[in-house]
Amino acid sequence: MIPMEFFLILAAILFCIGAYGVLTKSNAIVVLMCIELMLNAANINFVTFAAYNYDITGQAFVIMSISVAAAEVAVGIAILLNAYKIRKTTELNDAELTTMRW
Amino acid sequence: MIAEYTWLVPFIPMMCFLIIGIIGKKTPEKGGYIAIAGALCSFIIAVAISVEYLTGDAFANGDPITSQIEWFHIGDYTIHLGYYVDGLTCAMMLFSSFISTLIFIYSIGYMHDQGERKNRYYAEVSLFLTGMLGLIVSSNFLELFIFWEVMGLCSYLLIGFWSFRHDNGDEASANAASAAKKAFLVTRMGDVCLMGGLFIFLNLFMSLDYTTLFEHAEAVYAQDPELMTLGLLLIFGGVIGKSAQFPLHDWLPDAMAGPTTVSSLIHAATMVKAGVYLVARAFPLYVMDANVMVFVGIIGGVTAFIAATMALNNMNIKKVLAYSTISQLGYMILALGAGGYLWALGYEELGALGFFAGCFHMINHAFFKALLFMGSGSVIHGTGTEDMRLMGGLFKKMKITATTMLFGCLAIAGIPIFSGFWSKDLVIDIAMHAFEHGTDASVWFIVLWVLAVITAFMTAFYMFRMWFMTFMGEPRENAQHCHGESPKTMTMPLVILAIFALISGLFMFFGLDKMLAVMGVQIDGAEEGLALFSNMFTYLTLVLAVVGIAIAYLMYVKKTVDPGKFNKHGDSWLYKALTQRWWFPDLYNQISWKLGYGVAKGVNYIDRQIVDGTVNGLSGAVVGGGDSLSKVQTGHVQDYSSIVLIGISALAVIFLIIVAQLGGF
Repeated sequence: MIPMEFFLILAAILFCIGAYGVLTKSNAIVVLMCIELMLNAANINFVTFAAYNYDITGQAFVIMSISVAAAEVAVGIAILLNAYKIRKTTELNDAELTTMRW
Repeated sequence: MIAEYTWLVPFIPMMCFLIIGIIGKKTPEKGGYIAIAGALCSFIIAVAISVEYLTGDAFANGDPITSQIEWFHIGDYTIHLGYYVDGLTCAMMLFSSFISTLIFIYSIGYMHDQGERKNRYYAEVSLFLTGMLGLIVSSNFLELFIFWEVMGLCSYLLIGFWSFRHDNGDEASANAASAAKKAFLVTRMGDVCLMGGLFIFLNLFMSLDYTTLFEHAEAVYAQDPELMTLGLLLIFGGVIGKSAQFPLHDWLPDAMAGPTTVSSLIHAATMVKAGVYLVARAFPLYVMDANVMVFVGIIGGVTAFIAATMALNNMNIKKVLAYSTISQLGYMILALGAGGYLWALGYEELGALGFFAGCFHMINHAFFKALLFMGSGSVIHGTGTEDMRLMGGLFKKMKITATTMLFGCLAIAGIPIFSGFWSKDLVIDIAMHAFEHGTDASVWFIVLWVLAVITAFMTAFYMFRMWFMTFMGEPRENAQHCHGESPKTMTMPLVILAIFALISGLFMFFGLDKMLAVMGVQIDGAEEGLALFSNMFTYLTLVLAVVGIAIAYLMYVKKTVDPGKFNKHGDSWLYKALTQRWWFPDLYNQISWKLGYGVAKGVNYIDRQIVDGTVNGLSGAVVGGGDSLSKVQTGHVQDYSSIVLIGISALAVIFLIIVAQLGGF
């Protein structure tokens, strides 16, 4: 049997890639995709623990998590589309969007 | 048992104050009749209480009627609220409420043209009367102090009555405002002393009730004489402020800026009498220390003399009366001081005589000074000026006013039969006794006796100078347009008071001597009164008084003696000193500028630099810190998320370290 650590390391790598993307990418769509990566890293952890502990609760949580993530992405994309309509760009560092500061 | 309702005596005027203040505007005379009714009710209740007390067992045994309820505790101290009726209380209640009633009636005529402001006037005088009556019936010193302060407030309000708009223009109203402030601040200095004295007494006796204090006075004095002496001196400081004694006397002449009725109220029925009353009330405590009594006597004698000198050349009819009040108050304090001194040395009979002389003079003075002030008010009402150089020859136009004022002048000058004679000569007599029987400090009393005799001479002179300048001789400027006698509401009280000025001295033959017994020692009024005629010094003061009147007559009616010759037509050093009031106003100014303003500047510096500096520094630090921290808010969402990530990582690391420290999983 494949040891549990393999799955956990895979999830950790996936999470780090996602986090890196969120923090560095300037395109909002890429950032959204990276957030999906982080979510899925968490999902992998859930499934792994569920499988190795013979406990169905983790799998149920993953189903829940995926559906919530789908809804969240839908909302995020909708906001982005509207922002794009007004600003004609999806850049996060847009001057107009960074006025909410000191 | 009407004495149980003694609390009604101050309570009724207080209710009048509230009623006049709330609905007075809608009543006729803007509440004037309510004020009169209130004062009259108080007088009637006071009469009933006095009758009951004086015919009861308590009086026969020399005990007071007193009752009190518990007000509050602070630690071991219990403060009570109640009434205390003895002979002194009765005498004070009777004359205060009686004279106030007459003054209020007189006010109806005198304040007639004051319009809406009458409402404020009547409300304030009612509160003033509350203060005085409350002070008189109080059963402990704290209660007394509260009413004492009520009176201080009312005197401030009433002296400054015309500070908003004076009939004689802006300068007069500014003058009224500054006079009110002066009266308030100068008496405040006394009040601070009084408060200090009360703290000391509370500390010494664990109580401020009269009964407790009088009972334990001797024991406490034996235990801690220095502190007791200090307490007595501080209480006397309050008296100096309130009763306008040297050196805090200078507010009283300025207080003439108020309406004449207010002056009359302050000088005759309330306010300045409170100080004398306090000494009389605390007499059983004062007699513990002979040295304090010598000090009290000296202050009284010096005040009597200095104030009389300043009245000699004053041209303002009200200010002459104001100085004469200060001078007469000095007599009262002198009598109490000399009497207390004798008592402290063991001459209890003579001590009681001194106490009687002081209180008796206070009562007589109340009658004739109210009369004189209201008479001068009638003159001012008729002529529209206070300057005696613009009056003259008014006798023909104002017969009632002139005659009644003549009665007042004769009373204050000490002509026999008139009230002032009996009490003033008793005062001078008691100063002589203090010299004869006293020990080492007695030499002071011969000096005070000489001052008192000279004051008697000066009093006769300046009172008749005033009377002659006003009512005799050629009618000058304002006297020519005088429209005749004042209305009946004003002359009626004058006539009543003139009768009292004539007869109130005879009260000592008819029971007042028993009423004003102190600590169970009575004097025989008839005997003491007749003894005056077998005393050669009585004739000395009498001759001096007559000479004073004669000089005034020669100077101001016959004009055979030119007053200008004595003062080099106003150029002599003494004349200038007197018009400058012995430079007391300058002294006050110097003290308040140098000392008061200096202290105020120091306090201001501490407040602005240190207190405000600390507060401002703290707020500046918070604002600055917030400013620099706000730079973290970049507006870049990725900066925020990195901070979140760093934070969570740090938390995770800390969590792991703690878990490892606790021994792992």
